[in-house]
Amino acid sequence: MSYSISRISQSEITPPSNDGVISDRWLKFPDIINDARDYQIAFLGCFLVLGISTRDWTLKTGLIVAIASSCILTQWVLSAVVEYSKQDNFNYGIFTAPKVLNSLRSALITALGLCLLLRGNSYQTVILAGFLAIASKFLFQFRSKHFFNPANFGIICALLLTNDAWISPGQWGTDWWYLLLFAGLGGIVLRKVGRWDTSVVFFLSYTSLEAIRNFWLGWSWDVLAHQLTSGSLLLFALFMLTDPRSIPNATLGRCFWAIAIAAVTFILQDYFYLSSAIFWALFIISPLTILCDYLWTAPRFMWERGISNE
Amino acid sequence: MKTIKIWAIIAIAFLSLNIQPALAFCGFYVAKADTDLYNQASQVIIARNGQRTVLTMSNDYQGDVKDFAMVVPVPVVLKEEQVHINEAKILKRLDDFSALRLVEYFDPDPCQRYELFDNDTLESSAPLPQAAGRRQRKAELGVTVEEEFSIGEYDIVILSAKESDGLETWLIQNGYKIPTGAKKLLQPYIKQKLKFFVAKVNLEEYDSQGFEKLRPISIAYESPKFMLPIRLGMMNAQGDQDLIVYLLSPKGQVELSNYRTVKVPSNLDIPEFVQKEFPAFYTSMFQKSYEKENKQVAFLEYAWDMSNCDPCSAQPLNREELKQAGVFWLDSPTPLPGNRRSFPRNSNVFITRLHVRYTRDKFPEDLRFQATGNRQLFQGRYVVRHPYKGEISCSAGNRYQQSVKERQEKEAQTLAGLTGWDINDIRQKINFVEVKTIPWWPNIWN
Repeated sequence: MSYSISRISQSEITPPSNDGVISDRWLKFPDIINDARDYQIAFLGCFLVLGISTRDWTLKTGLIVAIASSCILTQWVLSAVVEYSKQDNFNYGIFTAPKVLNSLRSALITALGLCLLLRGNSYQTVILAGFLAIASKFLFQFRSKHFFNPANFGIICALLLTNDAWISPGQWGTDWWYLLLFAGLGGIVLRKVGRWDTSVVFFLSYTSLEAIRNFWLGWSWDVLAHQLTSGSLLLFALFMLTDPRSIPNATLGRCFWAIAIAAVTFILQDYFYLSSAIFWALFIISPLTILCDYLWTAPRFMWERGISNE
Repeated sequence: MKTIKIWAIIAIAFLSLNIQPALAFCGFYVAKADTDLYNQASQVIIARNGQRTVLTMSNDYQGDVKDFAMVVPVPVVLKEEQVHINEAKILKRLDDFSALRLVEYFDPDPCQRYELFDNDTLESSAPLPQAAGRRQRKAELGVTVEEEFSIGEYDIVILSAKESDGLETWLIQNGYKIPTGAKKLLQPYIKQKLKFFVAKVNLEEYDSQGFEKLRPISIAYESPKFMLPIRLGMMNAQGDQDLIVYLLSPKGQVELSNYRTVKVPSNLDIPEFVQKEFPAFYTSMFQKSYEKENKQVAFLEYAWDMSNCDPCSAQPLNREELKQAGVFWLDSPTPLPGNRRSFPRNSNVFITRLHVRYTRDKFPEDLRFQATGNRQLFQGRYVVRHPYKGEISCSAGNRYQQSVKERQEKEAQTLAGLTGWDINDIRQKINFVEVKTIPWWPNIWN
């Protein structure tokens, strides 16, 4: 659920093509909002307000502030360090360089993702999650591309390293209007970032697997419907799986990648009884991005330029 | 022929209310709403640490015991030593401890000028805790009797099956009358490789021991599955069913992972008269909340560390009682220096009380649980404030009376909103304070 601008040389960027669908659509949006991440921030912020006000979440304001500060501070410092490493001499201007400041948007998205999904009792836990989420972008890179979804990485680390972190998969319930809201808003965002294919492929494969199991077991179909209308599942598929910066570049690679996540989720959930299976599945499959990019090549996504031709 | 009763324990419970004043830190605890309020309420205790689970099923079956039998899907084959007959009082203890509570406060004399009584000073006074069967192959039916034994007043058989047809036939052949439609619902459990725990009453034993009521059955097993099969129970149920689950965990709160877990409305000021009709209040309020949440959530009624309570509706459970409730991970008590008796704090037991009212259409899936590290405390708590009833002889008293009147109106509206009761009926039951104008002159010469 988080995006970043990592270091990338200009030579790696393919100029946007004139016939690129996304590029055309890009131009229709007002100039004030010139970065798709602003939309992401607005949507995730809305969900957070909605969740806290209507869904009985026990989320303390202090913890939200701690997550946001931890993410933004880590991003600021590490981006500045990266900038510094490219320059010969240090000056304080690094901290206010447009590239450094611009990257704070991504950190905010990661922070919102963590606030929406991760629950914890203590400040240390959420600060650790925020720090590791952002740090993972700088640590786990392959050819200057990070392959772990930062928010997901933070969540898994918090689950592994602390005793008081948890995820509440049932927190959104299964009310229909959430489905519509998520699908609607998610759709707009996806059109903006152009990675809707991962969500569709993930949904199709996950639904098929669950449907086959449901049929084999002999459950009535409302059991399947109940599983698929989970607000948490939709949020994950529409907002976390579509992170254009950490997922494979090529459409075919992304399809393969999404199917792998669906299959692992299915196995962990129904055969190992893990309630947070989707997050573990994404974590396990994330390094496959490298393999997918190796097998299927395509130009990389850049926030500032929209998507290049594929 | 045994009438089979699958998982749902249908009972007509009587409304009983213990009004038992007891001192608690922030007011006097005066009444509690216990599970006797619900007509069809099953009670279950699940004590779980890691994959080890002790499940206690209460049995408030009211019919003729010779007709009683129950079938419960269980994750593993249970041997005789994994089954234990418990006592009903342990459920009563947990119920009392975690019940919703009403607390009362008395307004002080508004005219008295003295240091204000600070309730918080009593805060620290929350009480501390007191201390094999034969194997019988039925190849043609695909049913295997894995274990068969008698324990207490029950005859128990653990079955595994390959096909629901075979299981149904076996049950019928062995004198169980199973409800129509059972076959279809048994199939998914067979496919998931669950076993079937079948219990009926051993009449000789039952008569000889003179039990009044069937006792709860506890089972201990190890499995990654942390769930309760509710689907079978909905087969022979009419309408809604209430399930109270007491979840004991060393970590923290337990919540549902496939349904929302919502807190019951709590910490609200309600009119004085509710003290006399607290059970009716809670029943209406629960129904209203249940409808408001579209009938598809589980309600959290209590979440607390078992070592204390505040205010206490009952004493915290002692070690023996916790053990009886299935808590198997308690450390051995560390003796205190000297010869003093040790009082172990049960800080590694956290209780979650969930109240699920379910119907077939709103709860299609079995309940799946997950233990979380959430140690936030929560209790269903309602407050009545009694206005000062003595003589009021100062002009400040006027302001006080006015504020009480406003407060009473606010309480009436809160109550109407919570229960859906008619606001005018509520107003009629409230003794509104009369605002008497105190003349200003008596104070001139006194």
